[in-house]
Amino acid sequence: MKPRVTIISLTSCSGCISTLISLDIFPQFLERTRIIFFQFILDAKNIEDTDIAIVEGCVSEETQITLLRDVRKHAKKVYALGTCASCGGILSLSSSKVADPISNYIETNGIIPGCPPPSKLFGNSLIRLVENKDIILSQKNMCGNCSLKRDMKINSHINIYKIIPNPEEITLDEENSECFLKNGILCLGPITRDGCEYKCIKMGLPCEGCMGPVSKDFTSNLINYLSLINLSQELKEYAGIFYRYSKPKFRR
Amino acid sequence: MLKIIDVCKRVEGHGDVKILLQNDDISLVNFQFDIYRGFENFLIGKKLLDIPKIVSRICGLCYASQAIASCKAIEHIYDIEISEQTILLRRLLMSGELIKSHSMNFFFQTLPDLLAIFDFSQKTLTPYELIHYDPQLASNLYELIKIGNEINILFGGRSVHLISLIPGGIIYSPSRKNISLARKKFQNALNNLEWIIEKFIELFSNHIPPKEYHFPHFIFVGLSNYEKYDRYSGNLTIKQNNKNLIEFEKNNYSTYFGKEKDLHGIDFYFENKKNVIVGPLSRYNIIENYGIDEIINYLDYFNKSWKNNILFANFIRLLEMYIEAYHGIQILDDPSLNIREQFSPLNSVKNLDGIGIIEAPRGTLIHHYHLNGSNSIDRIKLFIATEFNIPLINEMITRYAKELFEITGDINLVKKDVQRIIRAFDPCISCATH
Repeated sequence: MKPRVTIISLTSCSGCISTLISLDIFPQFLERTRIIFFQFILDAKNIEDTDIAIVEGCVSEETQITLLRDVRKHAKKVYALGTCASCGGILSLSSSKVADPISNYIETNGIIPGCPPPSKLFGNSLIRLVENKDIILSQKNMCGNCSLKRDMKINSHINIYKIIPNPEEITLDEENSECFLKNGILCLGPITRDGCEYKCIKMGLPCEGCMGPVSKDFTSNLINYLSLINLSQELKEYAGIFYRYSKPKFRR
Repeated sequence: MLKIIDVCKRVEGHGDVKILLQNDDISLVNFQFDIYRGFENFLIGKKLLDIPKIVSRICGLCYASQAIASCKAIEHIYDIEISEQTILLRRLLMSGELIKSHSMNFFFQTLPDLLAIFDFSQKTLTPYELIHYDPQLASNLYELIKIGNEINILFGGRSVHLISLIPGGIIYSPSRKNISLARKKFQNALNNLEWIIEKFIELFSNHIPPKEYHFPHFIFVGLSNYEKYDRYSGNLTIKQNNKNLIEFEKNNYSTYFGKEKDLHGIDFYFENKKNVIVGPLSRYNIIENYGIDEIINYLDYFNKSWKNNILFANFIRLLEMYIEAYHGIQILDDPSLNIREQFSPLNSVKNLDGIGIIEAPRGTLIHHYHLNGSNSIDRIKLFIATEFNIPLINEMITRYAKELFEITGDINLVKKDVQRIIRAFDPCISCATH
């Protein structure tokens, strides 16, 4: 019996969906499952009993909470796809909109993080779901296997005065030898989950944290990190450095 | 008054069709979205270098167009010329994006509609049924989606939200292997597209498209470069009923249209604004010809009844993919791609306004940023293709829904058919709800 799959979109850019459809294994995924609800490609209207539900996008509207709960009720397993569904995503930059991860409202069985989710991780995760296995994510931060780490030790105060190198300062992987932090450029690698294959770093740009934190939430990780770095006054006043992909979490 | 709301199926993003019934007559039909994310608000105060990668997240289908329009606006602020190599590489990324976007739309959204409209199938085929209906067509189309995706990965660093696009240049390391791989991909795309275009001609060219998809009056808006097909550079052009060609510099766009305070929707400062259309059909009507002989031959298969019909946009999308793959191969032969270039430094702000215009797959896209006296962004206006098309979409679906309901009295039929018209426009709701 092929597993029944439901794919729903909340507030998003649809980039996770376009990445899904472009994956090498998407035809195989179509063949090995029975997709019963997927608004992008099917006319189906109602949420029905399903083995796997995949949700992309963050919760920004009241009506989406009802939909989410309906999906949870009908699904054996629910997975958050992409950074918006897992952590809140880019809408976290907005001060007026809600941008909640789906786990704020329903119990989830796992996440496929990334903005967009890296193809290899995404493809492997889908195969595991089809085989009724859990998704495996790296439990390390980006620095563990980073080619730029070398002699950098993050145990003393580091002065940070930039979030992106100036274009003329960008050096590609093969010529780049120094950790961004050493040059005063903020890299969120120390508090971000490994698994993206260092795509930004290989192109000379620091990690901006789209894979989300390794454990717990952005806020608890940030508190540790902020105790190690000195931000310039200009960056202290700049909104959306740390909470680019997730809103601060303050529970009362 | 009775209000009927139906979720629009098989479109990119979440949109509703709202039908208003008054005394058993349809008074209004609207294609609408309830979610507005507010990029124009939360981008205020952001660093210029930071903006392209944020605006890429407006859309997971037009990510390259968003980031490139943004880079162009920022380069306008710094008044810098970028290198020919950067322009070529940006064009390649736009081609990859267009091939992916157009082929996804054709496969999943409009081909099932076309087969039903022209009675090749009794019902709207699901992707599973489409694969069985014509395995070769499905496989060729899927191959195109992957080719577009791979071009973006090769020169952009990943499938969406490309890493290489930054103001002043493009992050690029010359690689003969990548260039030769990309050439093979584009060549495969051309082979696939020849087959698909001929299939389209075989299936549909002898039929007369239904009149509900016909648009009698129109005002085409788009970029053209001396009346040649060019989605990256050129001037904005407005063409009304095949005459009254107005061509103007990008900086003067606000003479013709603009955005008022609430930033929802576009205001046109000319008459008949409900006839404005952007996108593949507009580009087709604005330019003189595509400059490729094969395209002229393909177009000859369709008679006049197709040319003012929104369903013709489906064929034009196939042709545009062909043109982009054809130009892609030419770009890859350019020797300038073999050298490593330095970036143009962004030294000092020269203009307080920066305007970047390109043609995204779905039509004209404009980013307009304004800086205050301390060089901080204080106003942002984004003009999105689907926003341009909304008044025409609503005009067409209201007109047709009224007629159909009067004849049949079947509201379910109205809901179904109205959505087909909407899908023929290939609306991008993610973009429109920025």
